Amino acid sequence: MTAQEVRLCGLLLREHFGEVVEKVGTHLLRSGAQNLRTIIHETGISLDLVKKSLCVLVQHGACVFSSGRKGPGSPTEYQASSDRILRILRYPRYIYTAKTLYGDTGEIIIEELLQRGHMTMSSNVKTVADRLTQNMEEGRSMDYSEVSSAFSNLVETHFLQRCPPLAGLGTTDASTPATPATPANPTTPATLATSATPASTTVPTPESFPDCYKVPHMTLIGRGKRQLSSEDGEEQRNAKKAKLDSDTHGDEGIYWQVNFERFHLHFRDQAIISAVANKLDQTSSEIVRTMLRMSEVTTSPTATCTKPLSANEIFRSLPSSYNIPRPILDQYLTLLVDDPMEFVGKAGESGGGMYVVNLHRALANLARATLESVVQERFGSRSARIFRLLLRKRHLEQKQVEDFAMIPAKEAKDMLYTLLSQNLVQLQEIPKTPDYAPSRTFYLYTVNQLPTARMLLQNCYKTVANLIERRLYETKESKRLLEKSQRIEAILASLQASGAEPEQLTEVEEMITAPEKQQLEALRLHINKLDSAENQVDETIFLLESYVNSTATPAS
Amino acid sequence: MKMAEVKVKKETNLSDPAEVENRIKELCQQFPHGITDQVIQNDLPHLEPQQRAMAINKLLSLGQLDLLRNSSGLLYRLKDTQSASKMKGSDNQEKLVYQIIEDAGNKGIWSRDIRFKSNLPLTEINKILKNLESKKLIKAVKSVAASKKKVYMLYNLQPDRSVTGGAWYSDQDFESEFVEVLNQQCFKFLQSKAEAARDSKQSPMVQRNSSFATSHEVWKYICELGISKVDLSMDDIETILNTLIYDGKVEMTVIAAKEGTVGSVDGQMKLYRGVNPIIQPTGLVKTPCGLCPVFDDCHEGGEISPSNCIYMTEWLDF
Repeated sequence: MTAQEVRLCGLLLREHFGEVVEKVGTHLLRSGAQNLRTIIHETGISLDLVKKSLCVLVQHGACVFSSGRKGPGSPTEYQASSDRILRILRYPRYIYTAKTLYGDTGEIIIEELLQRGHMTMSSNVKTVADRLTQNMEEGRSMDYSEVSSAFSNLVETHFLQRCPPLAGLGTTDASTPATPATPANPTTPATLATSATPASTTVPTPESFPDCYKVPHMTLIGRGKRQLSSEDGEEQRNAKKAKLDSDTHGDEGIYWQVNFERFHLHFRDQAIISAVANKLDQTSSEIVRTMLRMSEVTTSPTATCTKPLSANEIFRSLPSSYNIPRPILDQYLTLLVDDPMEFVGKAGESGGGMYVVNLHRALANLARATLESVVQERFGSRSARIFRLLLRKRHLEQKQVEDFAMIPAKEAKDMLYTLLSQNLVQLQEIPKTPDYAPSRTFYLYTVNQLPTARMLLQNCYKTVANLIERRLYETKESKRLLEKSQRIEAILASLQASGAEPEQLTEVEEMITAPEKQQLEALRLHINKLDSAENQVDETIFLLESYVNSTATPAS
Repeated sequence: MKMAEVKVKKETNLSDPAEVENRIKELCQQFPHGITDQVIQNDLPHLEPQQRAMAINKLLSLGQLDLLRNSSGLLYRLKDTQSASKMKGSDNQEKLVYQIIEDAGNKGIWSRDIRFKSNLPLTEINKILKNLESKKLIKAVKSVAASKKKVYMLYNLQPDRSVTGGAWYSDQDFESEFVEVLNQQCFKFLQSKAEAARDSKQSPMVQRNSSFATSHEVWKYICELGISKVDLSMDDIETILNTLIYDGKVEMTVIAAKEGTVGSVDGQMKLYRGVNPIIQPTGLVKTPCGLCPVFDDCHEGGEISPSNCIYMTEWLDF
């Protein structure tokens, strides 16, 4: 874990859960696994607050606990996972993907689950139905069954999964369902901290449980409730909610979480498809899309390539709307195999030719294109030429670089040294004699893709952290103005509700002067720009992370 | 009588070394490829080895004979009369330097290397080189490899590509603008070809194949454009096309071609085609931080920080 990651994690935690959680979270990230007493001692935060913070982190899966390393009976230790915290950055993308795939219902299901870490199906369905009803026209409402079928769909496609059951923590199981879906639940960590039951030190993956994607039988009939705006309505609703929550629906104790891995596989497939569309054409990308969809269930997430598919199978699975005749499909497949990017490979001749999608090679190609793009934008196209040249030819002397790239010696030297100083290019010395005399040494320039990708990944983390800092700063600078505009909006809303005269309304509106309005508008633009930039950088992060992870797994 | 004649002849031969020399020269003219010691011995059987050696040495020192070595032994050959006449009035040192420069051919030779080969002091060599240059026997050419390094070669020789740098250099300056223009023109050609292929609405295989252009076609296009003052060879164009490959804009494949097809070399043909990049500029470089020159010095609370970053301010107000 690097300083950049910790900094970014801290900022993300502060934004989503506040400063106390940030402090506990970054402390855990910096110092590794620790027990409750050490955390309190080293952070200087009160026991109650630390417990609550840990609870929040555990609720969101950002922190795991295990029995102490000093043998049975030693205090439980907590460990934060930076990977999970960094996922917060990608929340908008998960939600957007759910929206495009499953519509508004899917969007809100995922949004609720992401906001609460994990929850039972029944409570999720209820909340979602309520929220959807809220946005509907007067007199209409959302049926629970509709939402739960959308939920089941998401489970079937593995976008949602059950939380792994906590081994040997019977006491917690008994206590948590009583208060589901409340993130700041202080009872959980207390139970965890005192629980002396030794849990296995290796955290089991959710996939290792057979029921991971099994939807439980749930008895939940009814429709979404509309939230009433009046004060007494609020109380009434709360009372109702409490009453509803106490009802049983037959799925207590089964908690669901978002399966990030599945989303990442989806993102990866999308990236490959769009790369094919850019490089070749739309039709080729549709063929690759079909191939990827066919192998979604049969291919393991870490496989280097998909299971072989015969041309016949692909032909049958192509949506008829594409209208691709069989001979043309064969031509397209041959072209895809011939392409130097090798997104698609040929695995055999049977069944009209067996084809695979080279997932890891595609990721490596995409990562390489990302590196090239960074060099191109930052140092110009001539430097990018040198960079690509080195990627292609591995090791080259300075003179060779000048000759191949057709760049004058002086400029080429300048570019090479700049790239070298930024660690994008490495220098390898090969002495002819053991004394390393410069006149008798070969100096070979080279590019190492994997370390360079890792370095750029760190740069991305720093960039996102910078963007967040800047956003916080911008908001802080205009705090007074923002508060004022909020106050005025509230006044306007209440006046409108009470049916005030139009003159009165304009009078209140004019309390914000024209320059102030301009300033607010500018601020809004700035925040939007920073937000979208964060998401864009996250796309780069995703590509580089997937590439780095793909090189780590041994070829299966 | 006959005996006397022979005797006379022999006497004149022996008494006049010039006669012997003339005879040797005649022999050399008869055998332009050179004669061995044995040939002279056969022709002048009565000549003392010592006298023979004297005559040959004299001819050698006058620069009229060349001494060569081949598998059967030493060979004598008449020296080029032209160069001999050019060298009239030159002393031995000058001839030596000239010889060294002549041996270097059109690659040229550096004055330091002349010094090593001739064992003459540098001042002397400089004087001789100046002399020879003024007589227009040799010329100095600036090498592209090192701008301060002068190499010498015979006056009438065309310098080698490694010295001048070929078509891409004029007065040992690299013509980078010329290269860029050619680079763009080649790409434009390949791109328009690829577009035409895409618009043809034929089967995908035909589309792909018709988007390829051979290096010969590109060469012809560039020649017909007439943007180049110098004559470019096909190799030159291939070098340019290679830079396009390193720009990530072009792909190359090699196919087997029928012998004698236009543009094929050793039964192979190089095909080039313009391609699209697989991704748009990545997200990182769309932010000011991705391009920031002081990225590594940037820390919150420091002199350079995200809060007071001027690049960020400019970008936000853009």
